[in-house]
Amino acid sequence: MKDYLKEAEEAYTPLLAIEEASRCLLCLDAPCSKNCPAGTDPARFIRALRFLNEKGAAEVIRENNALGAICARVCPQEKYCKLGCSRSGIDKPIEIGKIQRYITDFEANLKMEILRKPEVELKQKVAIIGSGPGGLELAALLRMKGYQVTIFEKDEKLGGYLRYGIPSYRLPNDVLDLEIKRILDLGVKNLVNHPVDDDEFKKLKEEYDAVVVGTGYELAKTLPMFEDDPHVELATQFLKRAKNEGGDIDVYSDTLVIGGGDVAMDVVTTLKRIGTPRVIDVVYEEFNEFRASQKELNEARALNVSIIDGYVPMSYDGKVVTFKHRHLPSVISIEPKHIILAVGQVVRPQFDLDYNLGEVVTNNYRVGDSNVFVVGDIAKGDKTVVGAVKTAKEAAYFIDSYLTKAREK
Amino acid sequence: MIKKDLSIEFLGVKFKNPFMLSSSPVGNCYDMCAKAFRSGWGGIVYKTLIKDPCDECSPRYDMLTKEATPFVGFKNMEQLTEHPLEDDLRDITRLKKEFPDCVLVASIMAGSDEDWKILAKQVEDAGADMIELNFSCPQMTDTHLGSAIGQNPDLCRQYCKAVKSATKLPVIAKMTPNITDMCEVALASMEGGADAISAINTIKSILNVDLDKEVGLPIVNGKSSISGYSGKAVKPVALRFIQQLRDNPKTRNIPISGIGGIETWRDAAEFILLGASTLQVTTAIMQYGYRIIDDLCNGLMHYMEEKGVDHLSDLVGRANKNVIPAEELDRDFKIYPKIDDDKCVGCGRCYISCYDGSHQAMEWDKKTRRPTCNTDKCVGCLLCSLVCPVGAISKGEVVFKPGRGKGRKTKDVII
Repeated sequence: MKDYLKEAEEAYTPLLAIEEASRCLLCLDAPCSKNCPAGTDPARFIRALRFLNEKGAAEVIRENNALGAICARVCPQEKYCKLGCSRSGIDKPIEIGKIQRYITDFEANLKMEILRKPEVELKQKVAIIGSGPGGLELAALLRMKGYQVTIFEKDEKLGGYLRYGIPSYRLPNDVLDLEIKRILDLGVKNLVNHPVDDDEFKKLKEEYDAVVVGTGYELAKTLPMFEDDPHVELATQFLKRAKNEGGDIDVYSDTLVIGGGDVAMDVVTTLKRIGTPRVIDVVYEEFNEFRASQKELNEARALNVSIIDGYVPMSYDGKVVTFKHRHLPSVISIEPKHIILAVGQVVRPQFDLDYNLGEVVTNNYRVGDSNVFVVGDIAKGDKTVVGAVKTAKEAAYFIDSYLTKAREK
Repeated sequence: MIKKDLSIEFLGVKFKNPFMLSSSPVGNCYDMCAKAFRSGWGGIVYKTLIKDPCDECSPRYDMLTKEATPFVGFKNMEQLTEHPLEDDLRDITRLKKEFPDCVLVASIMAGSDEDWKILAKQVEDAGADMIELNFSCPQMTDTHLGSAIGQNPDLCRQYCKAVKSATKLPVIAKMTPNITDMCEVALASMEGGADAISAINTIKSILNVDLDKEVGLPIVNGKSSISGYSGKAVKPVALRFIQQLRDNPKTRNIPISGIGGIETWRDAAEFILLGASTLQVTTAIMQYGYRIIDDLCNGLMHYMEEKGVDHLSDLVGRANKNVIPAEELDRDFKIYPKIDDDKCVGCGRCYISCYDGSHQAMEWDKKTRRPTCNTDKCVGCLLCSLVCPVGAISKGEVVFKPGRGKGRKTKDVII
């Protein structure tokens, strides 16, 4: 299980980190710093590292993002900070995530305490339902402003998809644990194994000054032909099972995965790392329209996953799955030992909220004129960790404005 | 592979190439010197002999780094030989016997006329081809020795005289850079009979301070000392002293063995163009080994080919005449930068440096992320071309300053 538990990407040594920082052109108007949804300023922390100020670099990252060590590892940077990197004009973009990881590792090794407890305690209470990246970041931000924050988490541990979805070789639990500890150390309260139902939700609305729903895309999508088949597992269930057991789960001689997003790539690379001899991934999109990040696709390829692009499932008879190509007259049939569906997740409608295309209808994260707000995947925006951080930062601003007004009344 | 004759005559002795180990840890015993000769080095200045072997400290080195580059500069605290004199003399004899075509220079140091004479005689008897007088080690535990001699013209003259009276071998006086004017001590050495000058030895330095222990590096039981700095970073200082020796009518014609940060054939060619006819290397060997001789020799051969010369001596000192006093420089014109938009990657470093370090002439288009030069403000310093990471800025249009350059053509300005 070493391959599953050990972080796949090698950390930079101090020499390699400074070498990479030296490749940075230290741009006047750094495109990287304009492209982060979470508002991270890579140009500033890379420059700090270049001038041997690792502590200052850690402050730049942490003060902006309570989940800096997580984003360093899981963010699809090629879509954001690395996209406009001027160094690409010479050879290839700066490895911003790896530098961020080096600096946040440095911060962890030195046990730096950058996030500060509030100077003034406020009486107002905020309940946050769900402890994924959106909920965690929001909890940190509101707590640092002095609010009394309580997180309600249905699972045994905090972290949501970070804990139960992203595989350990991409995000080790100890990294997540430390990020959560920093947030809890600010004085954030939490109740785990505590799902919130409609009745409790109503109570929370009365007892708390603001209630934030950050329950994410909880439900894995399925396809009608596979519904209720005991041989078919859903991607999120599989990933949770693997993560809970530290990768120590039974493997089949072959597994068929259907889907081509980042979650599908996590599934196929997990399967390979826990020792599945044959992993076949059939993907609806063709490679030129692939949804998963290039980095994740490359990793799947490096692990010798068989990826078949452009095929859509036509039928399943309980044993054999038949696919046909979306554009060519081509049909393939596969009789796998095990099937995993990774065809996306959707929101689980709850609390009488209004939804539009899977996102809760709000006005600046606020539901109507109630004291209910949303954060994370169910809010408008990118369904990524960094996207969730973005919603948390924006929601924090509006919640603080709302609560400040209420306080001043 | 190119084949050119790199041989050069220095003090009547023929070197198969101008490259020597300088007197230092890299030429400290028979095995090392034999390997260096086999690797192709033209000569060796054997590590300085002294009557009583030196007592060295541990650790004894440190380096200056920049970003990820090690050995930008190097500090050492070693003094002279750690061996009994008879061992070193025996090694010199053996080396000369086994490598008769390679040049072996014996470096010596002493504190009295008598001791200088004895050592000179001993190394001559051992078979050395010439003698280098170490007037320049900056970290001697005996404060009357090393660079203390090289800072005192009278002692230089006196000790050269003593050595010359005891030996028929050619004598090189090795100079310290820890001095304002090297010509004075070089001239005194010549008056005492020195046949050549080698320059420079290391620069007195403190490279780094340990911020936790609050002590310079390397830390020797909690303390450190000022000691010699060498490597790439000292090359400019060495070249300056050599130029000044070549500028002074009284020292102009003395043969020079150049030392200071030589790592590549380009460094070597620079020393040669400024008047050195042999070259000595240590720091680069400590970092990379004797094998660097391969590219020193081959690169220099290609340079000779490019220059169309068959004899290395034809290159010696060719750049001296082009170094002139600041007051004589042509100040009638300025050169504007030429920006290649295709090469430019839009980092804006030229803009930052021009604004913060020069005359705010570079203008920045936020939309296109490209610089342009406002020639009304540009003074032609060309700092922009130095900071550009992609070489997109070169020397462009030459213009005469208002009211200057009458009757001259800008195309005649050598840029």
